[in-house]
Amino acid sequence: MIRLDRVKKVYPTRFGDRTVLDGISFDLSKGERLGILGRNGAGKSTMVRLISGAERPTSGTVERHMSVSWPLAFGGAFQAFLTGRDNVRFISRVYSQDFQRNLAFVEEFSELGQYLGEPVRTYSSGMRARLAFALSMIIEFDCFLIDEIAAVGDARFHDRCNFELFEKRSDRAMVIISHDPGYIRDFCNRWAVLDKGCLTEFDDFDVAYGTYKEAIGITDKTLVAADSSFLDSVRNRLHLLEYSYRKAGVDDRFTALVNEAEFARSKAEWTRAPVDWKAAEDSYVTALSIYPFERSYWLVLGHTIKEQGDLAGAEICYRTAAAFGQPVQDVAIHLEFVVEQQGLDLRDYPLRAFSKVPLPQQAPGKPDIELLSYIFWGSSSIDDAECLNLLRRKDSLDQVAEAMVRDERFVLQYAKAISHGGQEEEHPEDQGNSDQRLDYILALFFTGLNGPERESARDKLGRSTDILRKIFDLDLLTDWNLTKAAIDGVRE
Amino acid sequence: MALPVNENPSLLDSLRVQRRVLGALFLREAMTRYGRHNIGFLWLFVEPMIFTLGVTALWTASKTIHGSGVPIVAFALTGYSSVLLWRNMPGRCIGALLSNVSLLYHRNIKVLDIFVARLMLEFGGATISFFVLSLVFISIGWVDPPEDILEVAGGWMVIAWFGSALAIWLGAMSHENELVDKIWHPFSYLLFPLSGAAFMVDALPKAAQNVILYIPIVHGVEMVREGYFGARARAHFDLSYVLPFCLVLSALALIEVRKLAARVVPE
Repeated sequence: MIRLDRVKKVYPTRFGDRTVLDGISFDLSKGERLGILGRNGAGKSTMVRLISGAERPTSGTVERHMSVSWPLAFGGAFQAFLTGRDNVRFISRVYSQDFQRNLAFVEEFSELGQYLGEPVRTYSSGMRARLAFALSMIIEFDCFLIDEIAAVGDARFHDRCNFELFEKRSDRAMVIISHDPGYIRDFCNRWAVLDKGCLTEFDDFDVAYGTYKEAIGITDKTLVAADSSFLDSVRNRLHLLEYSYRKAGVDDRFTALVNEAEFARSKAEWTRAPVDWKAAEDSYVTALSIYPFERSYWLVLGHTIKEQGDLAGAEICYRTAAAFGQPVQDVAIHLEFVVEQQGLDLRDYPLRAFSKVPLPQQAPGKPDIELLSYIFWGSSSIDDAECLNLLRRKDSLDQVAEAMVRDERFVLQYAKAISHGGQEEEHPEDQGNSDQRLDYILALFFTGLNGPERESARDKLGRSTDILRKIFDLDLLTDWNLTKAAIDGVRE
Repeated sequence: MALPVNENPSLLDSLRVQRRVLGALFLREAMTRYGRHNIGFLWLFVEPMIFTLGVTALWTASKTIHGSGVPIVAFALTGYSSVLLWRNMPGRCIGALLSNVSLLYHRNIKVLDIFVARLMLEFGGATISFFVLSLVFISIGWVDPPEDILEVAGGWMVIAWFGSALAIWLGAMSHENELVDKIWHPFSYLLFPLSGAAFMVDALPKAAQNVILYIPIVHGVEMVREGYFGARARAHFDLSYVLPFCLVLSALALIEVRKLAARVVPE
């Protein structure tokens, strides 16, 4: 058994003490597998280090009445200048084990072959991971500590790891940390959420997962407390596309939603049930509402929509993915399929790929159309048919804007803007994400503004007509030749 | 075959584990440093031998005045070998934990073990080098056999003890304070001429002798020389000063290690 009793860990920093764990207590017996959910930096890895004994608690006690592994698949303990074989020899010596037997196992399991005789520093990260996992398996601990193993290796190796751990060693105790809720759900029989230094245990995965999502800021599937402060440092649309991709990857909420979607999707592939596809779609949509310009998930969102039979909806997603920079080869076959299924020809409505050109010439995606619609028509809710129509026929943002200006909705909006807005309220459905939308508009179209100017613009541009007027005031449409010409037409 | 857990290990069990861990770390350290290339482990003592030979040649060529009737080759051999012993130990321990901190994930490996393994390697290398060079010089007649081998060994151990304690102390402090590394280099460089390696205490004026004998290494070097050359060396040393000094330094070192072990965070 392992027993943690009121374990506290405080790290001194230059800004004063930081309490990472604040009184953690639990027992773990053989056969129990505890899965721990927690946001980045919640102290999960610290907890694992304390349990392993590599680090000592500031106060409280950690009792170990069984042998505890080092954090599994952990490659840091390699001496990079030694060969893989020497590292096996070292571990065998430290734990008083038969070297030849261990070497045979590592050779068989890691499939490193001749490379075992080479220094570890020459290994690729995948090879290191395989060696590390094989090393972790040569000592038969009573309790295994598993920190983010899901990230290791290819699918086949992953499978073999799972077999070694959860089939052959199902009688052991385990503490498992993972960003992948599906993994924790499938392999654990106890669950806990680590948040603000406290560990809360749950008998039921779904309750634990709900608490975790609340902790990271996803309170409801449809409502996300969006934090778009990162947009302040965005320089232009190209930068935004690149930045969203990186930023989303390290955002707990985004990864949690995407993991959830992936889980629903793999379930749907088994069940073929529309309800599961819908669940996957909802999660992707929510994830993308946090980072609308995150390119890679528009493609998978398209797949889940296509599976439900909505070809037009899928086409919107595919076109958006291509416009945002997903490799054309990846998108083209899917787009071709959905276009043909609608009885059309891709040659008539070509795919428009991302290219590094000035803003007005860049290819549009769905989020762009919504933002432009908000500016020129006063509402960002635009139905799929209209959105798709624009995506199919318009090469560039300039063309999209031109088409919008030539629509009668613009005439109304324009009239309101020059008569200083009137007293009309915005569309009620637009209120929810208005702050985030404004941040995106500022980041994309008001690129010349510096920090304080953006700040004051954010205060003043409460309505879409304010934005339109500001665009005219600052003469932001100089490069938008088609749009400008169309506006001049309307003015006359 | 699950790993057995011994809830109440006897002292003997613990010693067995300790020996195993130190053995494994020692071999790992040796493999890492010398590897399997060219002469491999032989570098362990060939490297200090080259140093000592070089300095012996230099001192012989420049006819260093050391103020005693001791032949120059023997003088350089005893002097520079002892320098290598005390000076390399802290050099190897400073920053040792930083590059090995992830070893702490193996629970039986403690902070002190990492230092001790390196000290064993350093001590082994310097001692074999001293021993082999002595044998060579004695067999070709450049140096007479030591008058009292036990006294040589005693002096050698005094230097090693001082070096080890200093090494562990500095090594432990260096983990959280990079100044230690910065200061140690000039400090060791300045300590070298004062360590008694390049002069005999007896040759100094009385006032200087009193000052220089505050440096503990001087006592060890003098003792080695008395063991080697007997009365000719006219050695000055005082075990009742140097041994308590080392004892206190060791205590400080262990306190520092204990403090560090409670705080250290493996990556």
